[in-house]
Amino acid sequence: MSIWDKAKTLDRRIIFLFMFLGVALPLLVRIGLPVSVTPDVERVYDYIESLEPGDIVLVSYDHDTGTLPEMLPMSDAILRHLFMKDIKVVGMALRAEGTGIGRQNIRRTAAEFNKLEGEDFAFLGFRPEITAAILGLGTSFERVFPKDDTGIPVGEIPLMQGIQNYGDIELVISITDDDTPVYWVNYANARFKVKVVAGLTAVMATTFFPFIDSGQMIGMVAGLKGAAEYEKLINKAGRAARGMDAQSIAHLVMIGFIIVGNIAFVMRKRGK
Amino acid sequence: MDSDLICISIFTSEGISIWLAAILTLAIYSFLYKDNPVYRFAESLLIGISVGFLLVTTFDTTLLPKAFEPVGMGITGIFESGGINSIVIFIWILIPVVLGFLMFTRFVPKYAWMSRVALALYIGFGAGASIPANMQSYILRQIDATIRPFLNIDSFWTMVNAVIVLVGLISTLFYFFFSKEQKGAFGKITRLGTFYLMIFFGATFGYTVMARISLLIGRLTFLMKDWLGLIS
Repeated sequence: MSIWDKAKTLDRRIIFLFMFLGVALPLLVRIGLPVSVTPDVERVYDYIESLEPGDIVLVSYDHDTGTLPEMLPMSDAILRHLFMKDIKVVGMALRAEGTGIGRQNIRRTAAEFNKLEGEDFAFLGFRPEITAAILGLGTSFERVFPKDDTGIPVGEIPLMQGIQNYGDIELVISITDDDTPVYWVNYANARFKVKVVAGLTAVMATTFFPFIDSGQMIGMVAGLKGAAEYEKLINKAGRAARGMDAQSIAHLVMIGFIIVGNIAFVMRKRGK
Repeated sequence: MDSDLICISIFTSEGISIWLAAILTLAIYSFLYKDNPVYRFAESLLIGISVGFLLVTTFDTTLLPKAFEPVGMGITGIFESGGINSIVIFIWILIPVVLGFLMFTRFVPKYAWMSRVALALYIGFGAGASIPANMQSYILRQIDATIRPFLNIDSFWTMVNAVIVLVGLISTLFYFFFSKEQKGAFGKITRLGTFYLMIFFGATFGYTVMARISLLIGRLTFLMKDWLGLIS
């Protein structure tokens, strides 16, 4: 059996081992590979930067726990930027699991900036049926969320007393692992003219380029790379920045296996 | 990491959750070696907790405040005031709640037809809301975004970009035109469309690889930082 035949029958666990090392070693030993900022992320940063202190931004946690490692760093980076600028944050979730994730995440980040729950930020909870929820918010936040997820009537939350509908919101940020931003574009942006930004898993990025090009979304922060770019823009390195070394090395390992696999394929074909 | 520190952290609520999460993460990754009962237990646990959480959250944050409490308040209103207004309000509350519960008749074959009433309304609302919205965002705005750059050409490269997008749009649309055999000049255009599609698939695959590795990075960061304390 030639080396190329062996390559074809290579145990997949060896590939896993290389991938593990490709990710684990750069996490232990920092290389510090540079991160360049893409225009889509920069547009999100610039728009938030243009907001005034006291403006209100709606952050919707539209994802499950399975994609948390990708979503959490970008959510942290964006929230830090919002709180740095003294922008008020209203959180909600269009996925049940987003309720726990969103509340915990906003509370934790707000605590870094000594922000008060109910005055500087609020979390409303979860609503099923995305279309009805997004359309309903255009009429009244209180009708869609009579109470927050802890049972407090939304009308009694000081921050929410100044919010009737999208007219009082400067920006909607959907942190998601699926196509929920399409709903925000279709029903919040198209109908109520509220600006929309998406924080996406990298898998979903190609779906949303046309929405940015056509001006229906301001920009997007996609995957761990997008989060690392945002961390660079706010000058506060976090988990995403650390993960970028590992991401790059893992990509090199992947490229290496693709090249070896293709060479093995060609060599075996020639040998026959 | 200092072993005393591990012992102390295990006996705090945060420590217990970190250890549980770490053990379950390793249980899931054990599948990479081969399928085993530990992996299947962790997978079943995840599914069970997710469904349980969804049910409790939906009941607590939706059914209770949007259905049960309004109906309760409606009934209380009738008994307290007894006026025609309170009865009308109660009926308005009751209609959507009853329609919602009609969906559950699907579980009883004899009465399953009743769910069609609610389903018909739901589909009607869905179609009515989504068709014009999707037409706007997926078609009209995309045509606009393809043509508009030709009206604002300020450099050679702006024009090149606009042409690349226009050619890509037309050739890809031609590729999905199946009423004519893809031969001759038409075939060449569709072949160009195939190249555009391949570039799209390549980009999507690249992003997918990036996403999957990001998930691995997230979990390994958790294991090495929060659990083992190997990363500062």
